[in-house]
Amino acid sequence: MYKLFLTFRYLRKQLIVHFAIAAVTLCVALVLVQRSVMGGWVEQVKQRARGLLGDVIVDNQSYAGFPLYEEFIGRISAWPEIEQATPVLYTYGLVRISSPGFEMTRPVSVVGIRYGEVIRVNAFEKGLFYEAYYPGTTHLGPQRQPMLGLDPNAAPVPSPMGGLVRPPALPEPYQSALETARRRHQERFGRPLDAPNAVDGPDNTFLREHGLAIIPGEYAFSETDAPELAGEPWPGLIFGRDIVATRQSDGRYKRRFVRGRLATVTLWATSIGGAVDPVPIKQAFRYADDSRTGVYEIDSETVYCDFDLLQGLMGMGPADRIDPQTEQVVGRTPPRCSQIQIKLRPGLDRAAVAALTERLARTYHGLLDDPSIRLDPREQSLVVGVTAVTWEQSQAHIIGPVERERMMVTILFGIMSLVAVALILCILYMVVLQKTRDIGIVKAIGGSSAGVAAIFLLYGAAVGVVGGVLGCALGVLTVVSLNDIQEFLIRLSPALRVWDQSVYSFDSIPSEVNPVELLVILACAVATSMAGSLGAALRAGMMQPVEAIRYE
Amino acid sequence: MNELEARGLVKQYEMGRSNLVVLHDCDLLIPRGSFTAIMGKSGSGKSTLLHILGALDVPQDGQVFFDGQPIFAPPAQRRHTTGIGDVLSPVERRRIRLRRTAFGFVFQFYHLLPELNVLENVLLARMIGASAWRWLSARAEARRDALAILQRVGLEQRLRHRPAELSGGERQRVAIARALVHRPRVLFADEPTGNLDAEAGANIMQLLHALHREGQTIVMVTHDAQIAQYADRVLRLEHGRLIAPRRGEDATARTTLGPTPPIST
Ligand SMILES: Nc1ncnc2c1ncn2[C@@H]1O[C@H](COP(=O)(O)OP(=O)(O)O)[C@@H](O)[C@H]1O
Ligand SMILES: [Mg+2]
Repeated sequence: MYKLFLTFRYLRKQLIVHFAIAAVTLCVALVLVQRSVMGGWVEQVKQRARGLLGDVIVDNQSYAGFPLYEEFIGRISAWPEIEQATPVLYTYGLVRISSPGFEMTRPVSVVGIRYGEVIRVNAFEKGLFYEAYYPGTTHLGPQRQPMLGLDPNAAPVPSPMGGLVRPPALPEPYQSALETARRRHQERFGRPLDAPNAVDGPDNTFLREHGLAIIPGEYAFSETDAPELAGEPWPGLIFGRDIVATRQSDGRYKRRFVRGRLATVTLWATSIGGAVDPVPIKQAFRYADDSRTGVYEIDSETVYCDFDLLQGLMGMGPADRIDPQTEQVVGRTPPRCSQIQIKLRPGLDRAAVAALTERLARTYHGLLDDPSIRLDPREQSLVVGVTAVTWEQSQAHIIGPVERERMMVTILFGIMSLVAVALILCILYMVVLQKTRDIGIVKAIGGSSAGVAAIFLLYGAAVGVVGGVLGCALGVLTVVSLNDIQEFLIRLSPALRVWDQSVYSFDSIPSEVNPVELLVILACAVATSMAGSLGAALRAGMMQPVEAIRYE
Repeated sequence: MNELEARGLVKQYEMGRSNLVVLHDCDLLIPRGSFTAIMGKSGSGKSTLLHILGALDVPQDGQVFFDGQPIFAPPAQRRHTTGIGDVLSPVERRRIRLRRTAFGFVFQFYHLLPELNVLENVLLARMIGASAWRWLSARAEARRDALAILQRVGLEQRLRHRPAELSGGERQRVAIARALVHRPRVLFADEPTGNLDAEAGANIMQLLHALHREGQTIVMVTHDAQIAQYADRVLRLEHGRLIAPRRGEDATARTTLGPTPPIST
């Protein structure tokens, strides 16, 4: 009992021990922040891969793409392990969009997707803005511009600002979709729907002031005062969010264009041999939605349109095959895509996925042996270049180094933490020397050597626990407010930007703490502190009571 | 009946090439209920002897018997260092246990723990040896005993004071309370008044004397003949041995002092 008693008494009374605690606190906080930020980074890299790709990716890294995807998907979609497979087309182009007084042209990566399929393969749908508030309204097919008006059927309602106001409304199906979202939100969370990840436009400020439900996103106001669909129908285009919106320091986005706005994409078709057609292809679209993956590189330079539309524009669709000698039609060329994303049924282990990936590659290459499929040599070479990899493999060249880097920095910081151990060693040893007489007294009145040693071990453990807990608190606090700290620094001087979005490819500093990691770090802090107190404990244990008490 | 019996104690310190022999074939009997004063010049080895009797120090040769049982291992197996391994040796464990159960020590320099207040200093002697679990049940009784003994030494008003806030005499009384709180069979006092003025010293001695009259066995070391007069036996330590007192300064003739002054509290 006296061990605990004296331990805590000394912990409180010995000022110098507070330095040891501070050292542990700082080291723990340091390691925790480092692990969290780098861990969060690795996790983001992985999530990006996961969120934008399928579980298995089939592609040939060629701008010309590869044929036979329909046949391949047809064969594998009946496999029990396959949940969904969808072709994707990648190309480059220029996108141009304008709003009154503002117009913008940007080089972009144009991605052709089958919207209905891709949302079942990866997390694309989760990152959409309008789809979240207007479920079911986002699509890539022809669409007109929804114009906000005043609900002609609704009676004016009294406003808290005085007078009567008529509630605004959108044309169908947008209005019904919004009602659905509002109802669901109310049921699930028990409060009215808001748009937490969007900055209010002037209309919403008005709506809020008059006690009316807000309308998420940006819409143009109808000239007829009634909600309507305006303009020609054009195919939908989903923008990367950072193209059409500006991120605010609080993480919300301010949209610069209204939904349904016309946009033009300029493309250059490429022949199967890789030759670029100098004549640009222009296609008009409507701004259907915007997508956020959290990867800045992607969100600032990618637009998504319909797969089959893009394939047609790029000349990668089916066409007559012309014999170069006879100039006669001798059949059809197969359509091509750039990538096939495959979603597997959940619950497959690593080995099963690896085996399946190989089987997928074999199956695809096996198509060449099918006598009903006839390809010319160039197409055949595209087929041969196709590989199937898991999403982890496809990202290994990014994830591997990041993981290694993370481990290295942890080791480095661990070594730095040895300084804290040394400090504890010194400080506790000093305490022992200073307490020589007291140790002698405790032994003289019957304390055993082991008991006295235990006081200092406990002491070390207490330093570890107190320092560790404080360090964890400090670390968590730091991690959680890293982005705020960065914002603050940037406001002082833009040169102080530590986390460069374009360098780290994520738009914010990762700020989540893994609780398991936290506990491990805490345990390490206690263990190393106890190790640091070992010297002091042994020294105290070895002290002869007579030596200690002989003199004043 | 003897409380302690020492036979043939030898203690020497290695000082470079030569040895400093402090105790040389020293014998001693401490009868139960006696108040023995050991006198000697400074540096004659009084403290050394007291530490050996009180199981704090280990002699190179000779043995001390308590309750007829030897305190130290046979000379050949004796260890002169201290370490965590002590817990493994039954002899060492018994020696440590004797310190907290059978013996109480009062030192010249009080040796209280400065971080603890008066009550805690006294309670610590009871806390040692009790596991945290046992302490839960033993605490109340220990506290009662501590309060009683502090009252006995006249410090019941100073329970929350730290040693630094007390006078020398008061500190020594706390030390006596700490030495007695576990009701030791033998109380050792090493120059208990050596650091006190005459009046405070007299107070302490009256307290010891009263304790002796209540039956407490006391072994005290002093170089001061005045102080030795409070004892009922006086021995001299000379040349490493205890000898009968010289004529003319014989204090042993009297087993009691004259009229005992009232004990101030
Ligand atoms: N650890 C030690 N090493 C060497 N010499 C010591 C040690 N402890 C005590 N001595 C010496 O032993 C002698 C006896 O000391 P001590 O028992 O304290 O005498 P006293 O209490 O009678 O003044 C002294 O000369 C002292 O210097
Ligand atoms: Mg002495």
